[in-house]
Amino acid sequence: MVQIPAAGDPFEALGDPNRREILRLLSSGDKPVQAIAAALPISRPAVSRHLRLLKGAGLVAERAQGTRRIYHLQAEGVHAVQAYLEGIWGDAASRFRLVAENTDPTPGR
Amino acid sequence: MSEPLRITFDVACSVEHAFAVWTSGIDAWWPRDHTVTAEPGLVVVLQSGVGGRIYERTADGAEHEWGEVTAWDPPRLLGYQWHLGQDPADATEVEVRFVPLGEAATRIDVEHRGWDTLGSRAEVLRNRNRLGWDAFLAHYIPAAAEGVA
Repeated sequence: MVQIPAAGDPFEALGDPNRREILRLLSSGDKPVQAIAAALPISRPAVSRHLRLLKGAGLVAERAQGTRRIYHLQAEGVHAVQAYLEGIWGDAASRFRLVAENTDPTPGR
Repeated sequence: MSEPLRITFDVACSVEHAFAVWTSGIDAWWPRDHTVTAEPGLVVVLQSGVGGRIYERTADGAEHEWGEVTAWDPPRLLGYQWHLGQDPADATEVEVRFVPLGEAATRIDVEHRGWDTLGSRAEVLRNRNRLGWDAFLAHYIPAAAEGVA
């Protein structure tokens, strides 16, 4: 069962072990669908669904080579994950400010 | 992915208080969706001094290591290694500088770096392309994925 995350959410897309495995496979080089499917214990249609989802999240991209589709990692996906991390820090910063400014014992505040 | 991630913001409190809230008071503000377990009732602890542990303790008493304090110069500088439940050998570094702007105003500069050393295992170093990906897959996804489950 392939869970369909919100479109374009790289973080959601990474929340599945098979999709993470696909990314690991592609990190060692571009690969056609057949090679990816051969390395995973899931059906070819399931692999295709995972790839479609990773593509939708901007993590992988494909190009045609004859009748084959070759998949590769997409740099934008890394940027999206970095943006997620920036979001975490941004969230942390705003929560920090809220707590710090409401508990300051400095006289005159 | 080797560029450090930088966050700068100002807070309306003294530099001493800002340092105290960031360290001994971390439990009050660290986002719960970026923890190892994201369980209700967990407590986040940052121990003072170089070598101090940073960890979360769940309600049932289980502890999950996040990192270790590597620089401690209150109230101006705090540094720590950061691996959030993953292999400590792959920790990234967080440096926080507290700059007083007035009696009740402090600038906070956060630098999160060390992406290059994240996958410092030899096999990973061979391929730059792998570096960033392995880093994220290994370090951030498991912890964060539990947070959104």
